[in-house]
Amino acid sequence: MPGAEAPDAVFAALSDSTRRRLLATLAQRGAATATELARELPMSRQAVSKHLGVLAEAGLVKSEPAGRAVRYRPTPAPMSEAVEWMTAVGRQWDARLAALGRSLER
Amino acid sequence: MDEQEITRELEVQAGREEVWRHLTDPDRLSEWLADEVSVELTPGGALHVWGSDGERRTGWIEEVEATRRLAFWWQSDHEQEASRVLLELEDAPEGTLVTVTESRPLATLELRAAQLYRATRGSTGGGPTALAGLARA
Repeated sequence: MPGAEAPDAVFAALSDSTRRRLLATLAQRGAATATELARELPMSRQAVSKHLGVLAEAGLVKSEPAGRAVRYRPTPAPMSEAVEWMTAVGRQWDARLAALGRSLER
Repeated sequence: MDEQEITRELEVQAGREEVWRHLTDPDRLSEWLADEVSVELTPGGALHVWGSDGERRTGWIEEVEATRRLAFWWQSDHEQEASRVLLELEDAPEGTLVTVTESRPLATLELRAAQLYRATRGSTGGGPTALAGLARA
């Protein structure tokens, strides 16, 4: 298990806006290689690889072999808040859609 | 990955044009979405939604495809994270199928940063518990 230094590595990794954008792009895609990310972002593949290395050391992304390349994916974030949000938002839409249905029946 | 996204569907006995009016006309929107809605129906246009509970949401329109698709981003005053809403209309046997998808594409990142921040700041208080949570993350 990583020691107390792990959060520092995460903060350092996330302190850089380029890396935050990289991670957000990766989160949206689910998984991608450095070459794929470089095509989407205004960065060279070398720069993407360097930043991915920092994110991987902080445990924010995992790497896996993809042929001759390496594919990265974000590690799962804690779920509790996410589940809470999905439950609340789901309920809101249940109520809104029910109201929409009533409104259309008029 | 753990996509933060919910989807709901509703089939209504009305044509797509009529449903579309309910999704885009502020007078119709105030019948079901919130108390008061103002919307500039063009990509980049502003969106303001005032709820009955006093909650206010602001956002902007991402995509408009008349009678088919409406995508926008919004964020309430007390939320730190904007979410994306996609409303899609499809013909159904007896009317229209309305599908809504709300997601937080950037939340995974924001959530992790916030939890780490709290965990390190609160390490003298509930430290072990917070760190155990981190280790599981």
